[in-house]
Amino acid sequence: MAAQVALRRQQAQEESEARDLRLLYPCTGIGGEAGIPQGSSISAGVPVSVSSSPAAACFDVFGSENQKDDKRFYRERKSFLCIDGSRMIPFEQVNDDYCDCEDGSDEPGTSACPRGRFYCTNLGFRPHYIPSSRVNDGICDCCDASDEYNSHARCQNTCWNLGQRERAYVEGQMRTLDEGLRLKQQLIEEGVLLWREKQAQLRELQQVAEDLQVKLEEHRRKKHEADRLKEQTLKALEAGDGGLIRHQNSSVASIFHLLDSNKDGSLTVDEIKAKVVLVHDEQRVLSEDEALALLDRGHRMDLSKFQSTLWDVLTRGDTVKIKDTQGAPGSLSSEDPHLKAADRAAEWEATNLKKVEEAYETVNMEIRYTYTLCPFNQVTQKSTAGVEVSLGMWGMWTGKPKNHYSQMVYENGEPCWQGGSRSTTVTLTCGTETALRSVKEPSKCQYIMDFQTPVACQPVLKQQGIHSEL
Amino acid sequence: TASKCDCTLKLMFLSFGTWAVDKGNFKTCEQSAFCKRQRALKPGESPYRALLETMELTNTRLTLQLINDNNKVRLLLELYRLQGNITRVKINELKPLKPRYEVPDVLIREPTTEPLSVLSQDENGVVLSLGVESQRVIISARPFRLDIMEGSDVLMSLNSRGLLAFEHLRMRKDTQADPEAEKKEEADPTTKEEEEKVEDGMWEETFKSHTDSKPNGPSAVSLDFSLPGVEHVYGIPEHADTLRLKTTDNGDPYRLYNLDVFQYELYNPMALYGSVPVMVAHSAQRTTGIFWLNAAETWVDISSNTGSSETPQTDVRWISESGIIDIFIMLGPTPKDVFSQYASLTGTQSFPPLASLGYHQCRWNYNDQEDVKSVDAGFDEHDIPYDFIWLDIEHTDGKRYFTWDPHKFATPKEMLQGLMDKKRKMVAIVDPHIKVDGNYKIHNEIRSRGFYVKNKDGGDYEGWCWPGSASYPDFTRADMRAWWASMFAYDQYEGTMENLYTWNDMNEPSVFNGPEVTMHKDATHGAWEHRDIHNLYGLYVQMATAEGLIQRSGGVERPFVLTRAFFAGSQRLGAVWTGDNAAEWGHLKISIPMCLSMGLVGISFCGADIGGFFKSPSTELLVRWYQAGAYQPFYRAHAHVDTPRREPWLFGPENTALIREAVRQRYTLLPYWYQLFYRAHVTGEPVMRPLWVEYPQDLATFALEDEYLIGRDLLVHPVVEEGARGVTAYLPGKDEVWFDVHTFQKHNGAQNLYIPVTMSSIPVFQRGGSIIPRKLRVRRSSTCMEHDPYTLYVALNLQRTADGELYIDDGHTFNYEKKEFIYRKLTFANKVLSSVNLAPDAKFTTDSWIERIIVLGASKPSKVTLKTADGQEKQLEFDFDASMSVLTVRKPGMNAGADWTMTFQ
Repeated sequence: MAAQVALRRQQAQEESEARDLRLLYPCTGIGGEAGIPQGSSISAGVPVSVSSSPAAACFDVFGSENQKDDKRFYRERKSFLCIDGSRMIPFEQVNDDYCDCEDGSDEPGTSACPRGRFYCTNLGFRPHYIPSSRVNDGICDCCDASDEYNSHARCQNTCWNLGQRERAYVEGQMRTLDEGLRLKQQLIEEGVLLWREKQAQLRELQQVAEDLQVKLEEHRRKKHEADRLKEQTLKALEAGDGGLIRHQNSSVASIFHLLDSNKDGSLTVDEIKAKVVLVHDEQRVLSEDEALALLDRGHRMDLSKFQSTLWDVLTRGDTVKIKDTQGAPGSLSSEDPHLKAADRAAEWEATNLKKVEEAYETVNMEIRYTYTLCPFNQVTQKSTAGVEVSLGMWGMWTGKPKNHYSQMVYENGEPCWQGGSRSTTVTLTCGTETALRSVKEPSKCQYIMDFQTPVACQPVLKQQGIHSEL
Repeated sequence: TASKCDCTLKLMFLSFGTWAVDKGNFKTCEQSAFCKRQRALKPGESPYRALLETMELTNTRLTLQLINDNNKVRLLLELYRLQGNITRVKINELKPLKPRYEVPDVLIREPTTEPLSVLSQDENGVVLSLGVESQRVIISARPFRLDIMEGSDVLMSLNSRGLLAFEHLRMRKDTQADPEAEKKEEADPTTKEEEEKVEDGMWEETFKSHTDSKPNGPSAVSLDFSLPGVEHVYGIPEHADTLRLKTTDNGDPYRLYNLDVFQYELYNPMALYGSVPVMVAHSAQRTTGIFWLNAAETWVDISSNTGSSETPQTDVRWISESGIIDIFIMLGPTPKDVFSQYASLTGTQSFPPLASLGYHQCRWNYNDQEDVKSVDAGFDEHDIPYDFIWLDIEHTDGKRYFTWDPHKFATPKEMLQGLMDKKRKMVAIVDPHIKVDGNYKIHNEIRSRGFYVKNKDGGDYEGWCWPGSASYPDFTRADMRAWWASMFAYDQYEGTMENLYTWNDMNEPSVFNGPEVTMHKDATHGAWEHRDIHNLYGLYVQMATAEGLIQRSGGVERPFVLTRAFFAGSQRLGAVWTGDNAAEWGHLKISIPMCLSMGLVGISFCGADIGGFFKSPSTELLVRWYQAGAYQPFYRAHAHVDTPRREPWLFGPENTALIREAVRQRYTLLPYWYQLFYRAHVTGEPVMRPLWVEYPQDLATFALEDEYLIGRDLLVHPVVEEGARGVTAYLPGKDEVWFDVHTFQKHNGAQNLYIPVTMSSIPVFQRGGSIIPRKLRVRRSSTCMEHDPYTLYVALNLQRTADGELYIDDGHTFNYEKKEFIYRKLTFANKVLSSVNLAPDAKFTTDSWIERIIVLGASKPSKVTLKTADGQEKQLEFDFDASMSVLTVRKPGMNAGADWTMTFQ
């Protein structure tokens, strides 16, 4: 067999390694029930060379369709060339539980080589390789139990069951894929229709736009004029609302202009008398003297003087105010029904505060979040308490080159207290519904989402399929 | 962990916004009233006089009264000669107002005493014979002083600087004084003067917002030691400082006070999580040790005359806040003698389950069962071995230990079974702070049994920790510990199985809102104040937990418990790690001296968080840390919750391969690690040791801390510098040769060797003259490798000989105590390699066999013959690499437990 191996190797250098190995060791699950014999003159449990064991027969059986050829090679060559060509060893040393080849190729059926691989035939399921370190380690890795031919593990052959399950799963996947592809096609068709419709609309709108462009020029001119007028009007309106004084930011100038009836840039006694009244006696017109006092004993008051004197008096609001206003600054009525309502609310809140605090911890433990993904826009997390946090804004596609559109990243979400900001990586998988399947936060502020959608269904997947060896 | 406290964290940011320790949270000597008071004493003014007429000598015990001539308070000195060249000196008040605390549960038994005899006596003093080797103790009367002599050499002197101080317990002045005392004071005006000198901090002390009520008043004790001929002292962990202790003249003394220090700083004497009050002094002539058995806050001053023309001398001074003076002077004379002397007092390293010497994967936190499953699968996918995956505090139901989060860890047994199917294990955290919650069984039971530590007013002590308001079980009580241990039974601690082990964190104890982030000193443990027992608390937590793990298996299985706080004796209970380090090169570097220091005082099972706990390591740092950690005893990666994930495969295939290779190297060497732990368990020798332990006369090794030995035979110089192109390793021993374990290149000893390094390099050398067993079939976990064959690495010395050992047992039970093990001596001499039974009365069988023998520094034989016990002979195939002089014997195949000889002709 080894001779055959060597010959094959020489004959087919260009064959891929994987294929090579498959051909070379189709029976690497050496033993199975047969097992490598444990009895040796030196010690129990030490596998001895393959020459005296059924393993050789195993090679004969699985190694080739023509067993006679095998035997001829075996007799002729009696040696094995490591697959990397590094060394020639006697065939007895193949699978004798001692690593001779650097590449591990002489021990396909044992755990002797650190870089070796063991082939699980797994009849009824999928054949695959495991590292040789998993041979006889007491853990069942191959479903046909072939990796544990000399260990304490009692492995069952589960390949048939696994195969059944796998096939059912694959069928389900295929159905999903078919349905997904159909939905995707539907979406594409809908998309195409929509696109055409929008194209038509676009053309119409472009026509309309051209017409409007003409009108626009005319309107611009008119608008400019209107804007200027509007601004004036607005100013006047603002000035007419004395309540604005309550706002600290309201303009000194606008109040000045309100008082300055003749708009000559200065206030006179008459202008003051016309617009200003006492807080506690709104009906009475101010006397000359009182008005004069407000003007700081001057007969005229310009804007800067106003700002440093009368403005303060007015904003303080405890002596005089502007006529016809709804209440002086800082003198909100305690009878205000809104205030009363607010008081009651505050009181209610206060009485409940303790309860809420007590409940907080429990609630805190129970908090579950609702996650929302708006593709190409953002990802958010909403707690049951209603607090919404951004987990990232649309960033880019980050799938591997082969499947670029299989993953996207949303970045620059809400900052984290330790620095940096929240981000989310969304993986798209094929499914018949469009939905978020899972959300994880493996590290603080870094989220991973599984987003299922027909859009992610790829026809290529279908061709791959999963074949079973039966 | 978990560690550190969120609230301290927030405070930090408010006040400093920096990433270094906030020193202001912790006391300096100046801020610790007793330390300030004691340190202010001037040398050469000792008020103590030995009253020789009070001397009583029975066969093994000498007692003698000392008097303080300033206040006439009398002390009782006891002196014992202990088996194994140890002298014990105890000093207590002759008649204390009430008993003073003497540390229990640390000594493994009452030490065996040996006879003492008086050689001579006069009015100035007494000379006692210590039996062997012309060793004598001279007790001088005025002032009191004690010298230990060998021949004409002074080995050690006590109170030679006159800094013995013993603050006697007294009535508070504002309380009714007893009339007897008053009379005395009248009679002796000097006494009165002394007595009335009340300083700040004697009866009350305030630090930051915390007031310590000090109902017993001042109670400090202090004593100085002079070590003639000594320039190097080591030990007294835990400090983030050099291996060789520094002099403290220009700063604070080394502090021993178990504290949860947030983001500790390197190279300073601040206290950390654990304390072992043991100092080792070494010179080319002799190694000695001082064990100061006191569990209260302790400060150690070191000064030295190095640099002056006099004979070198190191002076040491110990200061403790309460308790008594109880010291053990270990007289060596070799380093290994000191280790066995200390082991005879406090016990040896616990023998850990073999699996716990494998690799541990930890993170704060693995979020849920699915997370655990996928990390577990990640190791298989990337073919990296590991034995334990860890769960930090978030796995619990609201930080209630002994419970599981019902959503994230709904079916813990299913999870544990999944790990067991892969022969892997898990560790879940159990901290000592218990959530105050009437719906929490553990809390209710402890409270109803009255097991909580009490505050100064007698109520249950409450502090703030992970669960919010928490109380602290009084682990100093044996009945409390027994109850705690019973909580680990499988029917009590629901969802647990035999492959779940335990991690005790925060057991300093950490109290977020307490003084210095720990418990108030005036809290009480029965008759004693927390002040008296503080440094013992963490040891007791681990003791109770380890006992729980033993009991749940019916006494069959060895426990594995990791602790952050520790004390003398903690080595008997499990593993220790260096707490919450940071992802910085400096922290990688200091992991070596920190673990070496612990090893010197008995704690061999030590490690640092791989990668660094706080912050995120660069890929280079992470890889280097995996490489260094592979050659340190406790090998666990851990990360803070706020750091990005860092499982080994997240840094690209190249780095995954580097980490895989480092972990694989660890696994091939597990047989060696395991037998070293067996040795440590039997002898007390450290597993990871400074070079001077093996080369005690080689001055060049005395301050080395960037390389070390594992056992006697492996020298490791890990790469701990960023961007390193090479390291310079000192290879000791002028008659030694060292073999690079990767290339088999031979190097001579007594040289500084420059080794160029790449990212894959971990410079490790095997000593010529040694035989090291390895298992080269690295598998998913250590348990999977149980029955695997061995490869023996025989490194020949210049005499062409070598020897080593091979220890094998079941890896996890106490059956080794019933002699169920294989212990063999491997010897190569006169071209014959043989395996001889070191324990003929022991019985164990193994499936493991010898698959390969590699002889380094060999010459080419013409044939190799194996002779087995039954007399059969067979010729073996071999391969000889002439360029490196490496002989590989192919598949000898004998059972690892058998007798055999192999002849190289």
